[in-house]
Order: sequence, then structure tokens, then C-alpha cells
Amino acid sequence: MARSRELLITLSTIFLIVLVSAPLLSARHYMLFSLLILLISFIPFVIRFAKQNLSSRELVLLAILGAIAAVSRVPFSSLPSVQPTTFVIIVTGIVLGPQSGFVVGVLAAIVSNLFLGQGPWTPWQMYSWGMIGLVAGLLNNRWLMKNMIGRCIYGFIVGFLFGWVMNLWFVIAVIQEFDWNAIVLYYSASFWFDLAHALSNVFFILLFSVPWIKILERFKQKYGIFAET
Amino acid sequence: MVRGIQSFHPFVLLVYYVLIIIGLMLYQHPLFLLGALFLIGTFNYILDKGRELKKWSFMIGMMITFIILLTPIFNRRGDQILFHFFEQPIMLEAVIQGIMIASTLAGILAIFVTFNIVLTPDKLLYLFSKVLPQWALLTMLSMRFVPLLIRKVKEMMSIQQVKGLSFNQGSVHKRAKNGMQIMQMLLTNALEDSIQAADSMSARGYGLQKRSNYNAFKMKSKDWLTLGSLMGSSIILLFGWAKGYGVLQLGPVLETIMLSGSEYIYFMTWLFLIGFPILTEGKEVIHWKYYQWKM
Repeated sequence: MARSRELLITLSTIFLIVLVSAPLLSARHYMLFSLLILLISFIPFVIRFAKQNLSSRELVLLAILGAIAAVSRVPFSSLPSVQPTTFVIIVTGIVLGPQSGFVVGVLAAIVSNLFLGQGPWTPWQMYSWGMIGLVAGLLNNRWLMKNMIGRCIYGFIVGFLFGWVMNLWFVIAVIQEFDWNAIVLYYSASFWFDLAHALSNVFFILLFSVPWIKILERFKQKYGIFAET
Repeated sequence: MVRGIQSFHPFVLLVYYVLIIIGLMLYQHPLFLLGALFLIGTFNYILDKGRELKKWSFMIGMMITFIILLTPIFNRRGDQILFHFFEQPIMLEAVIQGIMIASTLAGILAIFVTFNIVLTPDKLLYLFSKVLPQWALLTMLSMRFVPLLIRKVKEMMSIQQVKGLSFNQGSVHKRAKNGMQIMQMLLTNALEDSIQAADSMSARGYGLQKRSNYNAFKMKSKDWLTLGSLMGSSIILLFGWAKGYGVLQLGPVLETIMLSGSEYIYFMTWLFLIGFPILTEGKEVIHWKYYQWKM
């Protein structure tokens, strides 16, 4: 089990590196190419979850956390690009482990897009949010996730990375050739939105990660679910 | 009454969308792309008189202008200089490239608008459940919780507002904090509810044996026929693409935009592939007119 997990992670890291460096190899069909690599890199995790036997309690708990992550945009609709979806996913990853973090991240992307409308961005959101949850879960026993400063740093970095991955396909499609000037120009246009996302992550983690983790931990113990993670 | 393009099996529809999106990415030729854009626009109009497309038009328009303006500035391939912009040569090749990329993206976004109308969540989940049953069940459960949670959030918000908390006024810090307080209440409440829902599922026999499912869709002969012709025309198109038809040569020498010889065959096949939903709808219009005429 542990070995297969490590294998999966190594594999998907390799694919991620290929994904980012692919424009150097083939800029002409990058859009199609990147989509393929993206799918290959997260399909192993999708299949791994699909093959697992979950109790009904675990299943419903994941479903409701995904729904909470998707719905949590509602009370914040008056604030642009501030939404606790990423926060909910990180907290789930920390408490319930890497796989649950991944599942809730992917689920939040699918569900919110089923209501808001699918688009070429759906697979990218699934990938980004899924990976955010996965990494948060992997680090849950390390220093980074154990203390507040580490969690805030993670939330901040992830806020920017999320925006950058979402920009990636568009940027490469536009410039066709690898050109740092163009990339910097485009990314600076989205800078304020990414910053708002990163700062709101830090804000939510700083104020609410302790009570949320406590609530979820309590649940985990009370009903004895996700015992092995 | 389900009719026209929406009466086809979800799998056929999915294949159609996958083929179109791949085609839009591979066929980098102005005429092929403009033809595609026109047909996708018509498709949108037939479905709902273009109402949904209008909602997206601002975003699509922004993207197109952005790409058409920026591509020539950063792309310096080619040798036909149109004019100089801040001492930078603007190439004809780059301008054409910009137009092609913009129409590819506009086409993909516009076809997704029809995707959302045609492939409704139930059809999408049906497709999902064939390959990944556990994910489909999870998504379905989650979707069912969304309206419930929204109702609860609204209830809690109005109760808290009566008690003096505000979500629309005050500093960003204050609003975000109040919003999060609601989320916390929602979390505890929803988690308790989820355990109840899960126990009720177990009581009804969840996990005892392989889950059966209700099958609302069946492949009919017209679905097989359509699937065959879609696959057939896309194989022709792929063959043409591999031989370099339907892709505008930008370098070393700029190719003429006009089509020639066998390229017309591929162009017609491409239009047929994209226009297939319009054909099915058109057939029904002819039927209707025929019945009217007979009366």
C-alpha cells in the first residue's frame, strides 16, 4: 500500500514536469498535448479511488465535504476571487489524508462546474484542486502542516500555483513559442487575482484552520471513520 | 418531448464533442476555422436562439481581442512585414496565426456552451457511471447536497442577520469572518446529517452486493448509424490532416489561403462533421413543413 502510493506520486511528478516543459518540445499542438498529459497524470489516482471499498459513512462524508467546498462560494459572492473552497480542501487533506483531500478537491471542481457550466477549464480545476488536497494530505504529519506558519505558507503558495496552472494552457496557446517576456506580461495581468486568492487562503487558514481541524478530528474519532489514514 | 440532437444517446453526443474539440485544435486553417465558427454559431442559435451564448459573448470577445492584438507583438516568425509598431516589425504570418488561435479558442468556448445545454448533468453522470461507478455515486450524492446546503446557508444567514451580523456591509475582513462563521456552523450541521444519511443508506442495503442501476438510455439503430458516420468522417479528416491538408503552412513560404483540389473534400467532410446537429434539426424542420403542407 505504502509502496504503491509512493510509486503513484513519483509517476505523477514526472508527468507534471513533462507537462510544464512540453512547450519546449512541441509548442504547435500544446493545447492537445497538455490535455493528454494532464489526464494521464491524474488518472492513476482516480482509478485508485474507484477500486477502493469505502463504508457508506466515509462515502457520504466525502460527498458532503465536496458539496461544502463547492457551496462555500455562496456567502462570499460579494467579494471577488475570495472563496474558501481551497481552504476546505486543504483542511480535508490534513485531517482525512491525501486520498480524501484529492477526492474532495476533484469533487468540488466537478460539482461547482455542473452548476456553473463546464468549459475547457474543468479538467484544469479538477487537477489543481485535487493536487492541492493530495499534497496537503501527504504533508499532514510533517512540520509544515503541524504548525500555523507552515500551513499559511502552503496556502499562500498554493493560491498562486492554482492561478498559474489555470493560465498555462491559455498562455502557451497564444504565444506558440516559448518567450519569457510574453509569459511575464500575461501572468502580471492575473497577479492581483492570484494574490487575492493566496491572501484569502492565508486569512482563512489563520483564523479558521484550528476549529475546522478540531471539528473534523472529533468526527473522525467519534464515528471511527478513515481510521487507517 | 426530447427531440432533435438531444434525443441521441449520450455516448454519441460525447463522441461528437470530443471529435469537434480535437478537430478545432488540429485544423489550423483560417477557412476551416471560420466555417466551424459559423456552424457552431448556428447550432447555438437553433438550440436556444443564442441566449446562453450571449451570456458568454463578453468573455469570448475579450479573449479574442486580447489574442489578436498580442500574438503579432510576440510572434516574430515570418518574413512579410506589414508595418512597424514601436520599432517592432508586425508580420503577416503572425497576424494570421493570431486570428487562427483566437478562432480556435472562440470555437471551443462556443461549443462548450452547447455542451452544457445538450449534455445535461444526468446524461453526463450516466456516462460517468459506466466507467467509474464509485465516482458517479459520489458526484450524485454531492450534487444532491448542494441545494440542501444552499437552503441551510440562507436560513442561517437570515437568522444571523437578525442578530446583527452583516454579509454585505463592513470591511472585507469583517465580511469574510462573518461568512466563515456561517460555514463553520454549516460544517458541524452537515457532518451530523451526513452520518444519518449514510446509516440510512446502509440500512437499505448499500454495499451488500454489486449496485444495480436504472438505465435510461439505449443505443438505437440511429445512434449506431450516427456513431458510424461520425467516426468515418473523422478518420477521413485525420488522414487528410496527416497529409497536411487543412493546416495552413506559415513557413518557410506562406501558403495561399484559398483551398485547392482535394482540400475541398476535407473541407466538406469537416463541415459535415460539425454541422451534423444542424442536419438533424433541419431534417425535423422539413418534416414539420411537410406535415403542414399535407394538411
